[in-house]
Amino acid sequence: MKKFAIAAGFLAISFGFIGCGGAHGDDPGHSYMPDMYYSRAYESYGYNNVGGERDSLKARGIFYNAMPVPGTVARGEEMSNHLTNDSAGLAASNAIKSPLDSTTFSPANMKEAQRVYLVNCAICHGEKLDGNGPLWNGGNGPFPAAPRNLMDDYTKKLSDGHIFWVITNGIRTMGSYASQIHPEQRWAIIKYIRSKQGGSAPAATDSASATAAKPSGATAQKDTTKAK
Amino acid sequence: MNFFKIIAKRSVLPGLLLLISFNSIKAQSGQQIFQQNCQTCHNLDKDGTGPHLRGVEERGPWAESRQNLHKWVHNPGAFIPTTPYTQELHKTFGQIMPSFPQLSDADIDAIFDWIKNAPAPGAAKPTGEGATATEGEGTSNRNALIFGIISLILAIVALILMQVNSNLKKLSDDKESILRPEPVPFWRNKIYIALFAIILFIVGGYYVGKGAIGLGRQQGYQPTQPIYFSHKVHAGINQINCLYCHNSAFEGKHAGIPTLNICMNCHKSINAYEKGPKIYDENKNEIDGTAEIKKLYSYAGFTPGPGANWDPANAKSPEWIKIHNLPDHVYFNHSQHTKVGNVQCQTCHGNIQQMDKVQQMAELSMGWCINCHRETKVNFNYNDSSGNKYYSIYEKFHNDIKSGKMDSVTVKDIGGLECQKCHY
Repeated sequence: MKKFAIAAGFLAISFGFIGCGGAHGDDPGHSYMPDMYYSRAYESYGYNNVGGERDSLKARGIFYNAMPVPGTVARGEEMSNHLTNDSAGLAASNAIKSPLDSTTFSPANMKEAQRVYLVNCAICHGEKLDGNGPLWNGGNGPFPAAPRNLMDDYTKKLSDGHIFWVITNGIRTMGSYASQIHPEQRWAIIKYIRSKQGGSAPAATDSASATAAKPSGATAQKDTTKAK
Repeated sequence: MNFFKIIAKRSVLPGLLLLISFNSIKAQSGQQIFQQNCQTCHNLDKDGTGPHLRGVEERGPWAESRQNLHKWVHNPGAFIPTTPYTQELHKTFGQIMPSFPQLSDADIDAIFDWIKNAPAPGAAKPTGEGATATEGEGTSNRNALIFGIISLILAIVALILMQVNSNLKKLSDDKESILRPEPVPFWRNKIYIALFAIILFIVGGYYVGKGAIGLGRQQGYQPTQPIYFSHKVHAGINQINCLYCHNSAFEGKHAGIPTLNICMNCHKSINAYEKGPKIYDENKNEIDGTAEIKKLYSYAGFTPGPGANWDPANAKSPEWIKIHNLPDHVYFNHSQHTKVGNVQCQTCHGNIQQMDKVQQMAELSMGWCINCHRETKVNFNYNDSSGNKYYSIYEKFHNDIKSGKMDSVTVKDIGGLECQKCHY
């Protein structure tokens, strides 16, 4: 009888092990000591809704959206240029000069700028900056509006500050890239675009003429747009 | 007179040809002008920054005369207050179209002639991709079943033959009246029992071992997410770089789940799934991409429509289910692998760009990690930017010791004076 019990015990444990292993579909499988695998402590993108805590925070008016606290500057980042997200900010952006103008931009930096461009911009504006990335694809892609051809005269005449403002805040159907691209990376992208357009960045005097050369009211008339 | 007639006759055809070709040139240039000036904001069939333009000449003041369109394109700001239709338009879209004084009346006519005759969007080509994916699995399962049945039948046949054999032997023994001990039935035969026990031990042990090792591993985990987000459509068909959404994989410990503003950067404009191939889930049910985009809108708190603005404060995050999970006692840093080690995402995550529903490809076990660390060669090529500069100092020490510049390496040289070595 005792022998039989031992054998049955062995068998039960064996079947237990056999049944435990393997995850598939919605079933994550099993683990011994689950506390080691699924942390009780908060983890990034983990189980941050334990006990409905987030909902209770929301009910108390505390909304955590991972945005930086207004008025703070991240470590290693340049000071904010305080451009507002409206037409006044866009107009003021023409006066902002690229901080990279005063530094040397090595080929390695250019390569990194190209990498950031290809990851974030080329999807619409194209690898060749011709405004024909995979999302537009000559009108066959899913995106309904044609991306700007960065090699055309219009973009060549835009000031660096204007492009910086557009990357930061978005314009028309283009969204904001402030959360994905660091400010210094934005300036590097502008440097890369300028190098592809031919020659170095236009001189400061250019930015004044750029505002004048725009079709009357191209941007000044964008009045109520960026209501946020 | 005859001469003129001939001339007239001869010139009819070329004249006609000229007329036709002139028309097509005009249409072509209308399309070109549209592409250069208009399509950044206007789509033929969808409202974007500005309204859609197919059938524009049947709406509002544009139905009255082309003159109105000329005036509008040359100076929209001045035209808006003149009609209630344009005032309404301004209210819904919230922006004023830039004026295009450089376009002549003929140019504008060419644009609208082209719009009138522009081909309707072709129906999306349905392709049968994805339907064949599970077929191979099915046949291999069926094969295993057939082999199992055949071996079972053979085993039974062998058993029957053995029984028949022993019976015949007994008969012949009886005939020759040889007395033998009663044969032991095979279920009490010690050899059979031992054989059976050994086979059970090996097979059972294999499965028990496999089950025990698989505890806490999630290879093959493929949970249903709150939104059916197809990586195949985004990263495969539309060629969006992994880092576009998971941008912190290059700079931080976590690859990061993209926040909704990254989704909305594109999906504020892309509000329907029309042009890609059909998507099927694992049970071969078709997935309605447009409905999935609507789910995104409900999480983002966004109502699509002409001139719609998105306020991120309305968003609530979808509760994505984490697939690739490491236990707490393992430190893993994405940037060390992607940026420093130049490891491709697919090395660990599999061909994500071909997966509609993401599945964990690697077992993410310690043996799996260690194996890759054993085999991966460090790129010391620090002189060009592809190499790993972190180790360049060791190469320098090596060369300096070789050339006699240094006689030994102190702890200081390998970073022993860095604060964090002790104070962390």
